[in-house]
Amino acid sequence: MRRSTLCIVILLLLSSLASAAVALKAEPYSSDHEQGKNSLSHHAQPTGEEVFKANCGRCHVPPMSISPRITGTVIMHMRTRARLSRRDEQLLLKYMAP
Amino acid sequence: MDSTILRLRYARTRLCFALGIAFYLMLSRNIAAQDSQPIEYHAGYVPVISGGIGYVHNVDGGITTLEPQINPILLVPFGSHVLLESRTDFTGFFERKNLTNGPFTGKVFKTVEFAQVNWLVNTHVIATAGRYLLPFGLYGERLEPIWIRNLQDSPITATIGTRTSGSGDGFMFRGVATQKPPYSIQYTAYFSTRSNINQLQSARVAGGDVSLYLPHPHLEIGTSYQRFLQNHQINSVATYVSWQPPSSPLDIKAEADYSYNGRGYWLESAYLFQQLPIPSVFRRTQVVGRMQQFFPSHGGGNSLPRVDSQRFDVGLNYYVRDDLRFVSSYGRSFSSQRNANVWNVGFTYRFLFPLWPGRTK
Repeated sequence: MRRSTLCIVILLLLSSLASAAVALKAEPYSSDHEQGKNSLSHHAQPTGEEVFKANCGRCHVPPMSISPRITGTVIMHMRTRARLSRRDEQLLLKYMAP
Repeated sequence: MDSTILRLRYARTRLCFALGIAFYLMLSRNIAAQDSQPIEYHAGYVPVISGGIGYVHNVDGGITTLEPQINPILLVPFGSHVLLESRTDFTGFFERKNLTNGPFTGKVFKTVEFAQVNWLVNTHVIATAGRYLLPFGLYGERLEPIWIRNLQDSPITATIGTRTSGSGDGFMFRGVATQKPPYSIQYTAYFSTRSNINQLQSARVAGGDVSLYLPHPHLEIGTSYQRFLQNHQINSVATYVSWQPPSSPLDIKAEADYSYNGRGYWLESAYLFQQLPIPSVFRRTQVVGRMQQFFPSHGGGNSLPRVDSQRFDVGLNYYVRDDLRFVSSYGRSFSSQRNANVWNVGFTYRFLFPLWPGRTK
C-alpha cells in the first residue's frame, strides 16, 4: 500500500514538473547553444542550429563549443551513434565550423 | 532428412541475401539526389581522444562502494567517410574488507566496449565491422556513458538484450531509411558471433532496431528486437520513447523490455532549471526522477532479479560547465528479498582533445 502511494506521489511530482516546465515562459539564461529553445522550422530545409538543437539534446547536454579542428571527426562519430543523415551532418558542420 | 534441412537453410540464406541486396538497392535509389548538394564548411578531421572521467561514492543498503572510472574514446578518421573508433572502460570497485568496516580493498576492471570501423557510405547506409555496443533499447548504446547518464545506477532491465558483455563482435548496418521534413526513420541491423577471447567476449546474436523521429516535437519512438542464438535461444524486445519538448529543457525517456527471463520498464524524467526565474547560479541545476519495475519469468536470472522488484530514484545534478557536473541521487529499492536505500554522490567530466595539431578543411 505504502509502495503504491509512493509511486503515485512520484508520478504526480513528475507530471507537475512537466506541466510547470511547459507552462513556464521565462527568459533563457544562456547563449545560442541553450538546450531546446526553438523547435525545427516547418521549412523543407532546417538550419544547422535547428539540427543541432533537435539532435544533440536527445541524449546529452549539448557542448558549448568544439574546436573546428576536430569538428569533422566528432560529427562523424555522432552521425554513426545517432544515425544522422548526410544532410544533417553537413548542416551541423556548417553550423559548428562555418 | 539432414539434406532436406540443409537445403532449407541454404534456401533461407539465399532469400535473406537477395532481400538484403534488394533493400540496399531500394535505399540507394535516392543517394545521388540527397548527397548532391555539398555545403561549404571548415571542419577539421584530426584524430581525437575523448571520453568521460568520474567518481561515484555509492552506499547501497549500508554497504559503501567507491567507484572511480575513466572511459577514453579514440577517434581516428580516414578522410570524411571512414572512422575508426574505440572505447575502453576502466572502473574500480572498492569496498570495505568486511563490507561495513575495515580498510577498502578492490580492483579495477578493464573492458573494451567497442573497437570498430565505420564506413559512412551515404545517408542510408553506415557499415560497421568489429566490436560494437549492442544497439538494444535506449540505454546501452546512448545513455550509458558516465557523463551522459542522469542517474548513475543503470535500470534493472539494462541487461536485457545486451548479453553477454554488452558488446557484439561482427558487423552492423545502420542509417536513415527515409527523411522528410516532418519525420525520419532510422534503422539498425546487426549480427554478432560468439567469442571467448579475453576482452572481446560476445554472444552469437542477431537483431535490429527501428525508430521514428519527429523533429518538430522532438519526439522519438522506437523498438528493438534481438534473437539470442546460442544455448537456449531466446527473443528479447524493447519499446522506447524519448521526448524533449522544444519549449522547455525537459527530458523524458521511457523503455519497456521483455525477454524470456522477465519483463520490466523504466520511466525517467529530467528537468534543467535554466528557464526558471531564479538566480543564474541555480539555473545549472537539474532534477531527475526515475521509477522502474521488473517481473521475472522462468525464474529470472541472467543478471536479472529472481523476484519482483521495484525501485524509484530522485537525483540532483549541478552543471558547473557543460562538461563538468556534480551528481547526487537517492533511491529506494523494494523486493521480497530486501528493501534498501541507495545513495550516490560524485562528479563526472567529459574531455575532448585533438591528438595532434591539424588544419581545418
